[in-house]
Amino acid sequence: MELPKSHSAPVVAKRYEIVTVGGVLKTSPPVGIVYLEGSFPKPSALPKKEVAQKDLAFLPSLLPVQVGTRVEFPNLDDTYHNIFSYSPVKRFDLGRYRPEERPIPSVVFDKPGLVTLRCEIHEHMRGLILVIDTPNFTLTDADGRFRLSGLPSGRYTLKAWIDSKTTRQQSVELKNGAVARVDFP
Amino acid sequence: MMVVVAVMTGLGLYFAQRNVAANVERSLQQDFQSQVSALDRLQELRNAALAEHCRALALKPRIHAALEDNARDLLYPSAKDELRDLMEGDELTTEQSAQSLHARFYRFLDEAGSVLPPSKPEEFGQLDEQTEAALALRQLPQTQQIGYLVETGNRSEPIIDEIIAVPIFSSDTGEVISVLVVGFKPFQLAGNGTLSGMKSGIWVGGHLHVASLSDSAAAPLDAELSNVIAKSGRAQNNFISHATGAPELLFYKRLNPDSLFPPAYEVCIYPLAGSIERQHRLRWQIGGAGILLLLGGFFASHFTAARLSAPVEKLAIDSEMNREHRRRAEAALVSTSEELKRSTRYSADASHQLKTPVTVLRAGLEGLLAREDFKPEVYEELSALLHQTHRLTGVIEDLLLLSRMDAGHLRIDAKSVNLSHLVEQWLDDLGALSDGQNTKIERQIPSELYVAGEERYTSLIVQNLLENAQKYNRPGGWIRASARQENEHVVLTVSNSGPPIRPSAQKHIFERFHRDSTRSAVSGHGLGLNLARELARLHGGDLRLLRSENDSTEFEVRLLANRPSQDRSSLS
Repeated sequence: MELPKSHSAPVVAKRYEIVTVGGVLKTSPPVGIVYLEGSFPKPSALPKKEVAQKDLAFLPSLLPVQVGTRVEFPNLDDTYHNIFSYSPVKRFDLGRYRPEERPIPSVVFDKPGLVTLRCEIHEHMRGLILVIDTPNFTLTDADGRFRLSGLPSGRYTLKAWIDSKTTRQQSVELKNGAVARVDFP
Repeated sequence: MMVVVAVMTGLGLYFAQRNVAANVERSLQQDFQSQVSALDRLQELRNAALAEHCRALALKPRIHAALEDNARDLLYPSAKDELRDLMEGDELTTEQSAQSLHARFYRFLDEAGSVLPPSKPEEFGQLDEQTEAALALRQLPQTQQIGYLVETGNRSEPIIDEIIAVPIFSSDTGEVISVLVVGFKPFQLAGNGTLSGMKSGIWVGGHLHVASLSDSAAAPLDAELSNVIAKSGRAQNNFISHATGAPELLFYKRLNPDSLFPPAYEVCIYPLAGSIERQHRLRWQIGGAGILLLLGGFFASHFTAARLSAPVEKLAIDSEMNREHRRRAEAALVSTSEELKRSTRYSADASHQLKTPVTVLRAGLEGLLAREDFKPEVYEELSALLHQTHRLTGVIEDLLLLSRMDAGHLRIDAKSVNLSHLVEQWLDDLGALSDGQNTKIERQIPSELYVAGEERYTSLIVQNLLENAQKYNRPGGWIRASARQENEHVVLTVSNSGPPIRPSAQKHIFERFHRDSTRSAVSGHGLGLNLARELARLHGGDLRLLRSENDSTEFEVRLLANRPSQDRSSLS
């Protein structure tokens, strides 16, 4: 999968931030999300996910979750945060809370789509949660490489989220025990 | 004079009127400018406050979220808190609200410049559709924009809104993501300055709106103003309008230069009736003053002319008289001069002509006296005749001398003359020639008195005086001669006893051929004193009669003193 060229050296620690260019939100250095759309059986319980606030930034700043996943927003800074979203997919406002706030404020994302996370107090903070209706998804690395494993056979649509305005897709046919190789231009 | 005064009055009238008109216009202009600048200051304050609001607004993540995350419905609720102070507050009076930051409404524009309608317009200021649509901009501006809108709607009276559109910049990208448009009551000009009767209004959307004028009353002005603005295209100007019948001075100034909103102008209308009345009054005053001046000048000039002309006329008469006098004097002078010349020449000629026969006569008489064949009485007769010839010779010589002086031919070869010595000599001679009259001679002559002169003439003066003192003395009388130095003069006084000269004759004794009739018995030809005075004057001195009364007659002669060694080169 080809990602936009990065101008900074790849960061090993997987720290990347959300930037807005011309109204488009993406990560820097660029990271994509590849996911397989199709009809998959719903799991009885989904694992909790977490987007922490650390050093006045979201960590991770880009999180793919399956529809119905509860995401916790622990505050790891020594200051207040007020995480909210006006995104149509999920509007919420967690209010102000301190690091010791218990239970950890959390939100269940029950509709697919892109959610922009913001902090009411720290206006530069941006985070993205891509809510997708499939258990089969993965982040690419900084070079755009990805691997999805344990997929059922059949014909599916493989999608690649690149930024808030760009999602590419391809049809794939998966065969049992075989490895399919997909390249997004 | 009259013309000058008239011209000056005319000029004064012209300049004063122009001055008044210019002053009025200037003061109105100043008034307008100060009003407008006050307006500008208020507007700046309002704009700055709004800009600050919008800057703060742009920092609000909720606003960004609402705009960027496609949550327009949450925009107004999110901005409400931030802009609370714009809309809050009690309902203010018109005047108060015009001067405050109390907004009538606000709206946001989307990225295309269209108005984002609030879900609950009552919280953000109700607007009719038309007005709300008018808030839209063709493009999102990078700077604040000022506009003016007329809200007609369903109101009985249209109201004017001042619109300030402030761009909201993304704190991320620096791009304009929205525009906040806030509507205020426009500031109103005070209008209570020094000049009463001023009306102010706003020209916008092709019409003039003046609060204190109904639309129908403003219509004629409106038409003219719209025309002027369209034609001149200037941001500010002024002109005099007669649209409403009375003259009015209109100032206008663009309120929103370079705005994306339609142009709007602040308009001040000053009635000129007062100033024109003042001009009329002034015209009368100056005209009156001019006429007074003219009359004053007329009388003053007449008075002055009379004052001036009197001496001139007198002068003219005098000068005519003077001219006449001069002409006569000149004529007299000419004739006198001619006469003098003639008489001088005559005297000289006569003297010369006489000298020869007298000499011949005397020689003949002397020849006869030398004969011895005559009777003794004949000798006596001859002797008397000879004496007469001597007298004749003296007269002739005196005449010759006088005529030379008259003709200016006599030159004095001035030397230092010892007057003391001269007087002593003559006194000695006098003593010897006293003819037995037993005259007592007293002298007070300092030894060394020198005068400047030619010896023979000085001697002649002294001789004349002393001989007269002897001649006109009485038997047994006295002669006193005294001399002294007075400054630069040597004064010789000669007095004698004897009958005095009659007072009436005293002033004539120095005239030629004058002889006192009372003393005609004394021999003399009446030239001596005249000659002596002329000679004294020729020597820079004078001869005068000091007094003649009772038994004493005293003459005084003054001559220039000199030192013995010093010679005077020449006296003329």
